[in-house]
Amino acid sequence: MAHYGYVIDSKNCIGCHACAVACKIENNLPNNNWWNRIFTIGGDNPNTPAGTFGENLTMGNMPVMCQHCENPACIRVCPVGATYKDAETGAVRQDYDKCIGCRMCMAACPFTGVRSFNWDEPKYAVDFPVGDPEVPAHQKHTVEKCTMCWHRLAKGEQPACIEVCPARIRYFGDFDDPDSEVSRLIAKRSYHQLLPEEGTRPSVYYLD
Amino acid sequence: MSNISTTLESGKPRDVSSGNSKAGGRGLTIAIAVSAVLVAAGLALWAMQLSGGMVQTGMRNLDSWGLYITCFMFLVGLSAGGLIISSVPKAFGIQGFGGISKVAVMTSIAATVAAIGFVVVDMGQPFRVWELFVYSNLGSPLMWDIVVIGTYLILSCAYLWAQLQAEKGKVSHTALRVISVIALVCAVLVHSVTAWIFGLQQGREMWHTALLAPWFVSSALVCGTALVMVVIMALRKVGYLSLDQSHMVRLAKLLGAFVVVDLYFFGCDLLTEVFPGGSGAEVVSMLVAGPLAPYFWVEVIGCAACAVICFVPSLRTNALLAVGALLAIAGIFCKRVQLLVGGFQIANLDYPTVLTPMQHTSWDAGLSGIYGQLVYWPTPLEFGVMLGVVALGVLVFLLGVKFLPLKPAEDSSSK
Repeated sequence: MAHYGYVIDSKNCIGCHACAVACKIENNLPNNNWWNRIFTIGGDNPNTPAGTFGENLTMGNMPVMCQHCENPACIRVCPVGATYKDAETGAVRQDYDKCIGCRMCMAACPFTGVRSFNWDEPKYAVDFPVGDPEVPAHQKHTVEKCTMCWHRLAKGEQPACIEVCPARIRYFGDFDDPDSEVSRLIAKRSYHQLLPEEGTRPSVYYLD
Repeated sequence: MSNISTTLESGKPRDVSSGNSKAGGRGLTIAIAVSAVLVAAGLALWAMQLSGGMVQTGMRNLDSWGLYITCFMFLVGLSAGGLIISSVPKAFGIQGFGGISKVAVMTSIAATVAAIGFVVVDMGQPFRVWELFVYSNLGSPLMWDIVVIGTYLILSCAYLWAQLQAEKGKVSHTALRVISVIALVCAVLVHSVTAWIFGLQQGREMWHTALLAPWFVSSALVCGTALVMVVIMALRKVGYLSLDQSHMVRLAKLLGAFVVVDLYFFGCDLLTEVFPGGSGAEVVSMLVAGPLAPYFWVEVIGCAACAVICFVPSLRTNALLAVGALLAIAGIFCKRVQLLVGGFQIANLDYPTVLTPMQHTSWDAGLSGIYGQLVYWPTPLEFGVMLGVVALGVLVFLLGVKFLPLKPAEDSSSK
């Protein structure tokens, strides 16, 4: 039994979107579907700063995907148990074969936009599958989201987004192990979680 | 939607009064045929939605529920009145409303069938519906709703059957009373559980309030009573049944009381949201002056006008009562819209990021384009499917009128 999760040193994120692209390729995501996106903290548009040029321009980046909550809102509301918590890793997973497409989980999840529904038959940029062959096929009219790359975890690897980060600001590990890198990071650095007031206890920690 | 049903009903002929209740006349047959055609058209559109994808609807990841779930809420509400109006007098042994009990229950059955229809057309994978019974997660409010609404439909049918049997003397008065008590409890439950689908979700500021369940019950009483009044007036006008005006006045007073309670709950909720001045104030300003303002004001003013009509004796003319009842129904429909859309109108994480056509239909307009206006608007396909599902409800009701002896029994006025 482990409690895997992420620590993201978002202050040092350079906003290159490599993690988003790695996720997209690894999981063979259909067109227009992103499980991991970089939010811009600054202006009104992506990659724009707040403030006035020459005076006080500020801009930050914050990668956001499924927060793999310890107390997930989505699992409680799914009528068929298609979304569930993997006991061995703590990952919140989604069984596409079971999903009835009622979208209760999308209404329940407080983290805007981390879940995607395939509103159409999945279409792809290239006509052959990319990424890991063990990733289950995407299905029309079902809900999906970040899986914590469970197929990689099963092989003892880290999620794809962790490996590619050129700024090395993404960390992954077991919070139940006090000696893991992630546990040591949140022990010595101050951090915040998204929407703590919702009480879902996210497994993604953003270093301050 | 009530407009549709009233149009169809007022299209019924005037000559039915002479025949018995089974002979509906030509107009009724035409109305049944029209609604059957609309149901078939709705089925065709639904097949189109399933094969071509729900990308044809206005719903996307950021507004993942829409017209179907709005109508589901609304029709669950409409189904209330009939059953409650019919069962309360029997359950508590008080004076009834002049034998309209059976027609009232028939409206409940029809509205419940349509409500279930709306959940089905909203599902992405309707052919996996069997999983609900095999893999049931009994902790999910949606699962509670499926159990309760199924029970409710069966009970309503059983209750109608018991009333018909009781008239023939085959079911005792006590048995009927027991069934009516159970039906009443179930009716309260069905509205509460529907409210909990929304109210138990902490992630949506607009929905997450303990008041939601009682408020759903009161709204259901408002539009249910109003629907019964409209249907009774239409049936009286075409001569299907006669009802003493005193009963109509009592129904109107009841409607007025329900409307006032509903507005009171709304006021309590708004005050609780706005008073701390935090994120709740954002919800209130969205309702009062934001993109949802038209729905908010139609609801408040429509319901207030309905209450005035119901309470001022000189205003209780048939025409005005019909207007008042329709205003109340329109007001409650607006309330459903504002509740559903309001849940999606305020994003918890509103930072600019990658947006795609799967995120929102106005994805290329940026966050201000998405949230600056109404976050969701249905497509013609959704309106078409909606019309089909509503027609299914109307069809069930008209078939009941045609084939079941729903007219008040001779002795009913003395009840």
